[in-house]
Amino acid sequence: MVKVQELLENRIVSLLENPDYAGHPLSEGLAELFERYCEQTRQIERIAHISDRYQEAERDRHIDTTTRYQRQLRQIAKVMRISDRYQHMLRDMNERLYWISSHDELTGLPNRRQMQAHLKRELQQLAERGGQFCVALADLDHFKAINDTYGHDIGDKALAAIANCLSEHIRGYDLCGRWGGEEFLLIFPHSDTRAAEAILARLHEVVGALVSHQLPEQIVLSVSFGLSACHKGDEALDQILKRVDGALYQAKREGRKRTVVV
Amino acid sequence: MQDLNVAGTDSIPSIQANWASGRLEMKGDSYPENAFELYQPVIDWIEVFLKTENRPLLMQLQLLYLNTSSIRAMMDMLDLLEDAHKQGKPVGVTWLYERDNERVAELAEEFREDYTLRFDIVPQE
Repeated sequence: MVKVQELLENRIVSLLENPDYAGHPLSEGLAELFERYCEQTRQIERIAHISDRYQEAERDRHIDTTTRYQRQLRQIAKVMRISDRYQHMLRDMNERLYWISSHDELTGLPNRRQMQAHLKRELQQLAERGGQFCVALADLDHFKAINDTYGHDIGDKALAAIANCLSEHIRGYDLCGRWGGEEFLLIFPHSDTRAAEAILARLHEVVGALVSHQLPEQIVLSVSFGLSACHKGDEALDQILKRVDGALYQAKREGRKRTVVV
Repeated sequence: MQDLNVAGTDSIPSIQANWASGRLEMKGDSYPENAFELYQPVIDWIEVFLKTENRPLLMQLQLLYLNTSSIRAMMDMLDLLEDAHKQGKPVGVTWLYERDNERVAELAEEFREDYTLRFDIVPQE
């Protein structure tokens, strides 16, 4: 196409340059027409060039937008992934904090706050459905003497050993927590004092037979229990605790290593 | 360009950008109400530094918890450093964490992924 155009142009130029046609009216007309043709061809080429530039810029912009879009997409995916991990971390920390706030660090048992919550729940169930449950307060006998003789480190180990022994030998649905110092609280749901006493009798035996390689051989551990049953859902928590505490005190006074039921 | 000095609180990290030494340090938790407001001056500071200086720029991070918009801002900053690194500029990142908190190191590794600039994750006692 370009070649045809070039040949035509060359032909017109040579015709206009031919002295034989100089001054001919058609030659003048052709010269004017050729000039206008050349001008319009230049214009068309310019427009085509500008249009090409626009198309090129548009294509570059499209590539740029696609690249930016893909980059942002990758960034969003990464932000989400990292954010999810932070949330996992927070959830785990929350669980850990919950455990710390509800358990005793030394023995790993539920702490006083947690046991109080369990007691309230048992009372509520009693109020709703009736029945009974038992509460026992345990105290490690001669704990002060162990501490004074062997030091607090051994005292702590004795507490951990007792905690382990008590919690391992109660029934699956019974509860055992550290009440404070050398005291432990036990809850026996849906049980009368006879059933609870039988469990406590077993606990006396296993504690007496407890052998721990972490404790000096000459230490023989024993516990005293105060036990009481709860029948009324509207009974005040303080009153129940006062009752088992009184029973425990009596067990201590009567020579320790025994259970007193009130 | 001026140095930046933001005192940390419970919800925002302390931020120190020192032009003379080419160091940017951020330390603490980051869950600001408006992350854009907090981090835009830091992003601007990095951009100006990288545009006007050819000296090394080191970003030292000791961050614990970051909310989502802080993560985004952090990645914008790391992207700037990565681009600079690709242009041959001497930039680097050091992420410090307490040795007994391995999860922070794992998160720093997540950030490090996809980047080719020098990015050290260093335990502290």
